[in-house]
Amino acid sequence: MSGAVLAPAGLAAPAAGRLGPAWRGLVRAALPWLLPALLLLAWQAGSMAGWIAEEVLPAPSAVLAAGWELARSGELLRNIEVSTWRALTGFAIGGGLGLGFGVLTGLSRLGERLLDSSVQMLRNIPHLALIPLVILWFGIDEAAKLFLVALGSFFPVYVNTMHGVRSVDPQLVEMGRAYGMDAPTLFRRIVLPGALPSVFVGLRYGLGIMWLTLIVAETIAANSGIGYMAMHAREFMLVDVVVFSILVYALLGKLADSLARLLERLCLSWNPAYRSA
Amino acid sequence: MDGMVQAPARAAGVAVGIRGLRKAFGGPAVLQGIDLDIPAGQFLAVVGRSGCGKSTLLRLIAGLEQPGGGSLTLRAGQDLLAPAAAVRLMFQEPRLLPWSSIGGNVEVGLPRGLAAAERAARARAALAEVGLAERAAEWPAVLSGGQKQRVALARALVSRPRLLALDEPLGALDALTRIGMQALVEAVWRAEGFTAVLVTHDVGEAVALADRVILLEQGRVAMDVPIDLPRPRRHGDAALAALEARILDRLLAAER
Ligand SMILES: Nc1ncnc2c1ncn2[C@@H]1O[C@H](COP(=O)(O)OP(=O)(O)OP(=O)(O)O)[C@@H](O)[C@H]1O
Ligand SMILES: [Mg+2]
Repeated sequence: MSGAVLAPAGLAAPAAGRLGPAWRGLVRAALPWLLPALLLLAWQAGSMAGWIAEEVLPAPSAVLAAGWELARSGELLRNIEVSTWRALTGFAIGGGLGLGFGVLTGLSRLGERLLDSSVQMLRNIPHLALIPLVILWFGIDEAAKLFLVALGSFFPVYVNTMHGVRSVDPQLVEMGRAYGMDAPTLFRRIVLPGALPSVFVGLRYGLGIMWLTLIVAETIAANSGIGYMAMHAREFMLVDVVVFSILVYALLGKLADSLARLLERLCLSWNPAYRSA
Repeated sequence: MDGMVQAPARAAGVAVGIRGLRKAFGGPAVLQGIDLDIPAGQFLAVVGRSGCGKSTLLRLIAGLEQPGGGSLTLRAGQDLLAPAAAVRLMFQEPRLLPWSSIGGNVEVGLPRGLAAAERAARARAALAEVGLAERAAEWPAVLSGGQKQRVALARALVSRPRLLALDEPLGALDALTRIGMQALVEAVWRAEGFTAVLVTHDVGEAVALADRVILLEQGRVAMDVPIDLPRPRRHGDAALAALEARILDRLLAAER
């Protein structure tokens, strides 16, 4: 397949002799977008030809128009703001607690004996199963969404932090001791950086769960946010808005993951495995 | 670096006094009464079969283990010193922090409470001593095994320790790099005057570098050989070879 794509650049050889590498770079950067673009085109064409019913799946242009309308009225931005705030606050609470408890159980045998088996037991309850209970406790208040998001993102961060702290090279810890590091210095200079790659795995996994939880929670119990926007539109059979909301969720999720990856690359630049590109 | 000579930082070596030192890890005692006096500034090599307790002895001197019995003291003149302040340990592996720059790794060896500029300057000076001054800003991952071990040496030397304990630091290096590192260790030892205790599997290395070689066997000092040969010593020297053969014979005899 790549051969076929590269062919035009190769055929234009006389003129593009100097442009060759630049062209190739462009093609390589565009390659991942090829399939989505083709799908989109097919979808648009299918809608225009009438093969895809409008009330099942509106054309991309219609979805875009609906999005534009939402953006113009300010509704889109307001809902994105609400959802992002919920996601980040819930994640900060859950991830922060996960980080703290993970470090605690990773460092201290007593902490592990005291906490770990309880946490592992709780982990086996799917947190979304708690939704009815959470609605009973908090109604459809903000607290309900924050609670669910925090609960969902707690576990991956906790488990991976604990594992990261545990797997720090004991030889390095011994070196630190031999060179007179006190406990806080040892933690800051050896344990934390050593655990960081694993913490990031937990962070990215937790971010995924964060969005998933928020989507479900907003769809079931909310009166603002993107999930609510989709559910509200469904009541009025506004399929284009529903599809657009789904796309917004996908974009936000991708954005969060990209930010986490960027952060990862910045923090772990010492590690050859993360240094590429 | 020379500017520091008149400062009190020019640390002469410490003398080590060991009396009836014992150590056990649950099972039979690893060290069963070691008596050993290391004069200040001496270069002592410790040889012995694998598992005879060489590393354990070194870790006791460095204060990483507590004696199970007997006593171990570090003295500079009349003063008693704590191991943490006087001793630096170099391990068989470089044990560099992969997430700190090479300069940052060397700074690990400095005492706390120094200004950042001074830390960096002293780290750079120590790196210059091992011939890596230009690499301070790079990550350790880019270095070869021998270069990493040189950074570890710089980290051990940067605080001007009064005793340098070396636990087979050259064991993993190829023959040529090894000879270069031996010359480097000898040169800094002669320049700085610290006491050196080198644990090694290589009897040839021991007689080439040390003032004195002891052999550990069944938890005791079984042989104590002074090496009174002038420096620099040449590899393949007949007198060195004779001493090496004597110690090896004793080692192999114990094997039977
Ligand atoms: N922390 C420890 N816990 C239990 N046993 C230990 C510990 N450290 C050392 N030992 C035991 O003490 C004995 C001596 O170990 P040591 O590391 O001092 O030997 P060594 O002479 O340095 O050997 P090698 O030449 O292979 O490095 C070994 O039998 C080892 O199993
Ligand atoms: Mg050993």
